[in-house]
Amino acid sequence: MVNLRFIGRQITGAKRQCAVFVLGVALSMVTLVSLGSFSRSVNASLLRDAQALHAADVVIHARAPLPAGVEGRLAELRNSGALKTARCYDFYSVVRSFKGEGSLLSDLKVVEPGYPFYGEVLLASGRPFVKVLTPGNVVVEKTLLDRLGLKVGDRLRIGDATLAIGDVVLEEPDRPVNFFALGPRIFVAARDLDSLGLLGMGSRVEYLTLIKISQPRELEPIASQLRAAAGDGRLRVETYKNADSRVKKFFDNLLFFLNLSGIFTLVLAGFAIQSTLFSLLDEQERTIAVMKAVGARSRFIIGHFLAVTLLLGAVGSCLGLFASLGLQGFLPALFRGLIPARVSLAVSGAAVAEAALIGFLVIFLFTALPLYRLKEVKPRAIFGKDEAARLWDRSTVFIALLGCSFFLALVLLRLNDLKAGLYFLLALASLIALACLAAEIALRLLRGSQPKSLALRQAVKGLFRPRNASRTIIVTLSAALAVIFTITVLERNLDSSFVESFPPDAPNVFFIDIQPGQRAEFAKVLGVPAQYFPIVRGTVSAVNGEPVDPEKERRSRGDNLSREFNLTYRSGLLPDERLTEGAGLFRKDWGEPQVSVLDTVLKMHALSVGDRVTFQVQGLPVTARISSIRTRTTGGLAPYFYFVFPSAVLADAPQTIFCAARLNRAQIGGAQTRVVSRFPNVSVIDLTEAASLIGRIMGRLSVIVRFFTFFSIVAGILMVAGAVFATRYARLQESVYFAILGARRRFVLTVFAVENLLLAAVSGVIALAVSQLAGLIICRRVFSLEYRPYPAECLLMFAATLFLVVGVGLGASFSILRLRPAAFLRERADE
Amino acid sequence: MNKALLTLITLLLTSTPALAEAEGTIVAMGDSLTAGLGVPARDAYPAQLERKLKEAGYRWQVINAGISGETTSGALSRIDWLMRLKPDVVILETGANDGLRGVDTRLTRSNVDRIVGKLQERGVTVVLAGMQMVKNLGPGYVADFTDIYPSVAKKRHLILIPFFLAKVAGVPSLNQADGIHPRAEGYRIVTDTVYPYVVQAIERHKKNTAHTATR
Repeated sequence: MVNLRFIGRQITGAKRQCAVFVLGVALSMVTLVSLGSFSRSVNASLLRDAQALHAADVVIHARAPLPAGVEGRLAELRNSGALKTARCYDFYSVVRSFKGEGSLLSDLKVVEPGYPFYGEVLLASGRPFVKVLTPGNVVVEKTLLDRLGLKVGDRLRIGDATLAIGDVVLEEPDRPVNFFALGPRIFVAARDLDSLGLLGMGSRVEYLTLIKISQPRELEPIASQLRAAAGDGRLRVETYKNADSRVKKFFDNLLFFLNLSGIFTLVLAGFAIQSTLFSLLDEQERTIAVMKAVGARSRFIIGHFLAVTLLLGAVGSCLGLFASLGLQGFLPALFRGLIPARVSLAVSGAAVAEAALIGFLVIFLFTALPLYRLKEVKPRAIFGKDEAARLWDRSTVFIALLGCSFFLALVLLRLNDLKAGLYFLLALASLIALACLAAEIALRLLRGSQPKSLALRQAVKGLFRPRNASRTIIVTLSAALAVIFTITVLERNLDSSFVESFPPDAPNVFFIDIQPGQRAEFAKVLGVPAQYFPIVRGTVSAVNGEPVDPEKERRSRGDNLSREFNLTYRSGLLPDERLTEGAGLFRKDWGEPQVSVLDTVLKMHALSVGDRVTFQVQGLPVTARISSIRTRTTGGLAPYFYFVFPSAVLADAPQTIFCAARLNRAQIGGAQTRVVSRFPNVSVIDLTEAASLIGRIMGRLSVIVRFFTFFSIVAGILMVAGAVFATRYARLQESVYFAILGARRRFVLTVFAVENLLLAAVSGVIALAVSQLAGLIICRRVFSLEYRPYPAECLLMFAATLFLVVGVGLGASFSILRLRPAAFLRERADE
Repeated sequence: MNKALLTLITLLLTSTPALAEAEGTIVAMGDSLTAGLGVPARDAYPAQLERKLKEAGYRWQVINAGISGETTSGALSRIDWLMRLKPDVVILETGANDGLRGVDTRLTRSNVDRIVGKLQERGVTVVLAGMQMVKNLGPGYVADFTDIYPSVAKKRHLILIPFFLAKVAGVPSLNQADGIHPRAEGYRIVTDTVYPYVVQAIERHKKNTAHTATR
């Protein structure tokens, strides 16, 4: 039978602990629901975008007309109404102005009606694409009009046909940003294809068959049938779900990080829940002892406290759900620029259900230990025989292992990556182990110290009072802070590397294949200051006489020595380079050819200063001795070279010039036209859009990182509050004894403040040390970036930690200070 | 057996001597079709050609001087560099990248002509590899492009391979997935195509050399 009055009294008699418990549950709920809903909203949006990006549900790519088997299968499916098709033909052609002057290599896309099945082709006139692209008309990119001096309405010779320019295309769904387009886009209606006379034997065309599936659930079965019919692998059948999408990979990585952060917040919140429950149950120890003395069984007692836990959990869950709903209004602003504006971030029912289940499991796991411990309370506790109850036995170890298994399963479920999950848990375990070791050393040093100040002495003694939680607080606080500090330091380093590497004067337009004899005139035609780099193409054929096996190299993951490299020559370092080995770029005392190597090459092959590398430079072998190893200090879009030689070695070699320039948006079109008209052999790569997009994304990402890190900070604060409550009774006792001995309230406050300051300082120092080490390793090994310690930011975080912990600790202790000694002693006498 | 002697015999048996005392040097100058993009070096046509010549008794060294992605402008700029190899015969295969980028055919023609001129000034016998361009670039462009090689060959009295990729271009089974670069079997056919013209060039070079010596 449930005694509701008992449950009510427990809650009303421990309001502070219950508040922390409820907030811990609410925080878990907010984290789970927000992340779960965001993940579902983004995935749904990405799938919609993926359809638009492919303009279809399924796309068959081929270099020749489809084989009869595939055509036959498509016809059957079309006749049965299972799908619709639209063919597209993508190829380059040299088009000419009908007036006779001027020709231009252009990227033609011949499309059947139906294209695009998803997304829109936006035209400058605003008219519907399907109405403009009729036989006899074409739709072109503005660049074509600029380059050929034409306007809408003029005629264009394409192959054997003459077609009229109907409109200008602004945007097409399945061609987002094309960095390497060799020519402007021209859309042609499929009914004009034969008249062009451009397709046939000897043509290089990409044949695309776009497919729209009538029933979404038939997507994979139909794709599988088509792959089976395709057979030999010369066709590529892609669905919008499994096609390689950089945007999807980006969001997968972002969600990976956010999920990790969310799980970490859950762990902290769980510890906050656990320590407040320990504190609440400790205060009720005598009550429980009395209940057992009058015959109540452990099952009855545990059952009632479990009911208290579940009730508080339910309240916390509802609070968390309301907070999540409120957060949905804020999330769009947070993620603006990263996700399409049309995405509506709503709380999803599935996310709520999942959060409720996970939340329940978290509460169960973190409260199991304190509740289980209740059975250790003996009736003789009434007499104040404070035996330290045995915490760890087979059952409690089992509960702890169950908790670890749960989090491993959660990590696997959320991250979908066993290796990453195991690394995460290993990292967490290592962090906790390191924090334990550091805490133990710090506490031993403190225990052995003999400060002169009385308040400081008492504060140090307070750390070791009976049933103190100093070690627990330091370990969990320093572990939590270490993660938060590491994220902050990494974010600052990434921020400076990427965002600051795109300063306003960073190059945004590259020109390749400039001939050496053209350089002077090119510079005049370009008309703006620019950087010029000589490029000599070569391959690596041997290292220290040992031939390089291209086949073996190609099998290795990532970049390797089997490919051609852009070699260059100069006499100094670039502004964003520094030496990691070697006294200078080249040595004056070596009489043989030398080469300076970028540290990235060391990942392909073990190399060190003094080794000899043989290059094949267009038929000529050149063996050079490694004089130095360089590294890049930023990750921006500035040019860099793996192999740099002194001028004497390569100045006579066949080479082209690569130019990196900074142009305003308004200058780019004109510069391109001038350069390509005067130097037809030069190709232009415009990275303006890409650079500004990357900059915006990185800026937005750092805001998101800070926002989700904030959740962890809140969890950390709750944990501190919970730990303070755990030692509340002992503090009460000390406060009373100090008062009896004549100490003023100010002295007691000072002692408690200094005690919290010591806890914060020790935790902060450990966290700073761990975060600096972790930041250094991650920046150098994972991101291959230069690491900066950001001492000012670290000191600020340390100061904030002191302020928070002292504030929370004192805030939790104020009620203790208000208690009058006589009232406390009277209560004890009554007991 | 003495260990040192055994080692020496092993080295003699297993070493692949460079063509010692080669009668002459052929430099295969070109783009990725010469470099052999996507196939091992031994399957690119210069290596196959050297083996074929050796089998026929011509002890001529064939050096692969192909650079993937090179245009005729790039080829023109490296003539002096390649002369360090002291070529007797140069197989010039260039222009395909000009075509794929839609470069003005007048520029391509001028570059090919100047390359041949520079080589001939230095006494090199040139074999010019004719090239064709993909049909989708347009009939006007394709015709202008195709005409470059026979007209330069006629002007400069060159040995002309009518089409470097004869019997290979457009045959899916002989080309890699990109449809442009041959597989090893494709290069075998290319080698067979090039071979008779190279032999012709060798004979012409020998005759010219003998003629110069007797004067």
